[in-house]
Amino acid sequence: MGLMDKLPGVGATPTSGGIFGQGGPTFLTSKIDAIVNWGRLNSLWPMPFGTACCAIEMMASAASDFDVARFGMERMSFSPRQADVLICAGRVPYKLAPVLRRIWDQMPQPKWCISMGACASTGGVFDVYSMVQGIDTIVPVDVYIPGCPPRPEGLIYGLMMIQEKIRQESLSRHYEHRSEDPLLVARPNADKEEIEGLTGPFGNSTRQEQLSTGVVPRGETPDGRTRRNPIYD
Amino acid sequence: MTDDMRGAFDAVDQGPRPSDPVAAPSGRLPAAVSLHPTIVALGRRFGEAVLGQVVNAGDQHVVWIDPAATFDIMQWLRDDPDQAYDMMSDVTGIDYGHGRPVEVVYQMFSTRHKHALRVRCALPLDAMEIDSVVSLWRSADWLEREVYDLFGVSFRGHPNMIRILMPFDYDEGHPLRKDFPLRGRYSRAEQTRRALNQEVDRFYTEDVLGQAREVQEVLEGPTAPPRRTEEGGA
Amino acid sequence: MAQKTVTIPVTRNPEMGPGGRLVPSPLMPFEVENPDLGSERMLINIGPQHPATHGVLRLVCELDGETVTKVVPDIGYLHSSFEKLGEYRTWNQIVPLTDRMDYLAPLIYNCAYVMSVEKLMGIEVTERCKVARVILMEMDRIFGHLLWLGTTAIDVGAFTPFLYSFQERERIYDLHETLTGARITTSATRIGGMMADLPEGWTDQLRAFLRTFPDTLAEIDRLLTRNQIHIGRTQGVGAISAAEAINYGFTGPNLRAAGVDYDVRKDRPYYDYETYDFEVPIGQHGDCYDRYLCRMEEMRQSVRILHQALDRLPGGPINVEDPNISLPSKTDAMSDMESMIHHFKLIMEGIPAPEGDCYYAVEGSKGELGMYVVAEEGGTKPVRWRIRPPSFVNLSVIPRLAEGHLVADLIMINASLDIVLGEIDR
Repeated sequence: MGLMDKLPGVGATPTSGGIFGQGGPTFLTSKIDAIVNWGRLNSLWPMPFGTACCAIEMMASAASDFDVARFGMERMSFSPRQADVLICAGRVPYKLAPVLRRIWDQMPQPKWCISMGACASTGGVFDVYSMVQGIDTIVPVDVYIPGCPPRPEGLIYGLMMIQEKIRQESLSRHYEHRSEDPLLVARPNADKEEIEGLTGPFGNSTRQEQLSTGVVPRGETPDGRTRRNPIYD
Repeated sequence: MTDDMRGAFDAVDQGPRPSDPVAAPSGRLPAAVSLHPTIVALGRRFGEAVLGQVVNAGDQHVVWIDPAATFDIMQWLRDDPDQAYDMMSDVTGIDYGHGRPVEVVYQMFSTRHKHALRVRCALPLDAMEIDSVVSLWRSADWLEREVYDLFGVSFRGHPNMIRILMPFDYDEGHPLRKDFPLRGRYSRAEQTRRALNQEVDRFYTEDVLGQAREVQEVLEGPTAPPRRTEEGGA
Repeated sequence: MAQKTVTIPVTRNPEMGPGGRLVPSPLMPFEVENPDLGSERMLINIGPQHPATHGVLRLVCELDGETVTKVVPDIGYLHSSFEKLGEYRTWNQIVPLTDRMDYLAPLIYNCAYVMSVEKLMGIEVTERCKVARVILMEMDRIFGHLLWLGTTAIDVGAFTPFLYSFQERERIYDLHETLTGARITTSATRIGGMMADLPEGWTDQLRAFLRTFPDTLAEIDRLLTRNQIHIGRTQGVGAISAAEAINYGFTGPNLRAAGVDYDVRKDRPYYDYETYDFEVPIGQHGDCYDRYLCRMEEMRQSVRILHQALDRLPGGPINVEDPNISLPSKTDAMSDMESMIHHFKLIMEGIPAPEGDCYYAVEGSKGELGMYVVAEEGGTKPVRWRIRPPSFVNLSVIPRLAEGHLVADLIMINASLDIVLGEIDR
């Protein structure tokens, strides 16, 4: 649509190239891609959405020993309007979820998201009533960095993976890369079944529900029926 | 193992039982058990309101008081020159489950006499209300709000009794109660949906900030501590 | 106790109060002739995502121009329900949770928690363990204060101290890592002792750090203490009197800066703190500048305590030699049936506690950190685990401190309180 259709080299069926070949990447567009990607990946401005312990490791990676300034990322943009990559460092409770979503929505394209640490990726240690079990239920995540907290080298490796991702982008697939339905602003990133699948009981020991007194707490659901099983209901 | 515990489920499923008077140590203060000077003085002065006391772990003195007499006892503890508990370190709650009363626990410290005291009040599950001590110690402001948020205990006379840690309109219940499941009452998808639909701004309008101003006036009441009488020094 | 007075030769500049007012600043900076005349008050929202709130804190402010007339802090944006999680974990399984609350000084939390449970259970740890825990707590006090120093300097506008303090913190990170394998989430303690003994060369590494740390601290001191901009931003800002500070529940350097002589290490001593030779800095005016001075001095006093503790570190076992409390060594567990059974029982069931409760207060880097555990007879998990978070009570004073000041002062006051949202929201 629009400009992209008019540029040579864009189309559904890739054929052999030449500079102005029909369809598929060509010499000219691949050079433009290279320059654009080089510019983007070497000057990523991170949006540090730091909440807890991982934020301290993020600060340490910005300090002298690990120094993300080598990557052009020392300008931590606290305004989402000027940021490229959202680094969600730390646990995100449900009270904070709309704030995270709003920050993500306020970031202009092109944007990427790093989920730093176990809590941001899956909920981590906190499989509790107040914690989002992975921010990928709220925002689309590009890179997950495991660790509790990951070392600054881990964060830097994650940033380098984002750089690798950017390096493989192409202007000819612009809409693919930047696809995000504007109607889905402030809606969960994953639908109901996906969330249930992502946050299911896999790995949660049933013994976790048992208290010191031997009572497995059972409550009523809001519509009045008693839960048969404290975990699956 | 859960099958063996089936009897224990019923206690919670049936809902709260009336308060069991045996649950808190009852009876008058024995003659000379406690060496903590405050507890001895408490027993002498408030007799009936002191329901029991115990010494845990060697030197942890705990006294149970009648919730109806809380404010008077607390005021005396703060103002009496021999007690002078000028710092309210902590206000919290304990829910034992099994229908036992919820207890409100006060940890107090006197910077003048350098002694600490723990005061507990047992509240039956059908009458979880107690007087607020925020007009005596300002530190109790947020601490009591947290007890309300997590246990459901209302503090009479607290000017701003709303939730503090959970969202203001959280309706899954009071999280630290024993009958509240660890993962909450709604499914994760429902919790996510509700979280993203909450309007974080609607509780901070001009009206609410005006209410906050009234809160301040309430706290400046007759039992408030002196403000700005000394510029420095203990 | 004896007090030593130190005079810092810096002129207190009354003209540097907010809006040109003399110190202390009045609550309302101007007189309104007709209070019904509606003036436009702005409602602004600082946070929860903001570089200067030191975490996910939301401050809703009502401003009259630049002056803050009302500020309401909104917390709970990091509520991870540690206390409820603790009810589902055995005593030793809770230790990793304690790191994640105050992630700026994790070892203090590790130690405070196990000290409380050991008190409840009546376990007396070995001498080596006591001195080692004192070393770790003082080291983490420096650790926490260094982060405070770096981030507060950034809030004032000074970027260099941030780099210096983080460089020093890297060396403490190395010490953490040598001891436990993790930089921040150390989980170094266990009921009855420690996860592992201090490795060989660890005390030398710590001594090497202590040799050069005072010089870096002096350098940061040179950058900030007599700096006109720093003085102008911090003197007279956020002042509180001693009686009010006690009533509001202030503890730690915030309270001591207001002139109250209350330090848990001196007034309710634990682990032989009364035998260590150190001083507790007390301020006078209770403003941000005094809090800064108190924390700087506390770091120097911690260095002093560390030297003494390192000198008196005894040999011997680090863990209590009771197989019902401490895990047996792996070789024993693999070869000896009894040890294997003890290992099995400790891991699968945990340590049974007596009936009762215990409130144990330590001097954390932010203030009085209290750990309150309630157990039932034979319980291997707590009935209630309550953390008395110093920052929670300290933060509730912000409306009292900041109203009448400017917005920039609000940021400075927030920074000077040294809050950590992990322990506020738990």
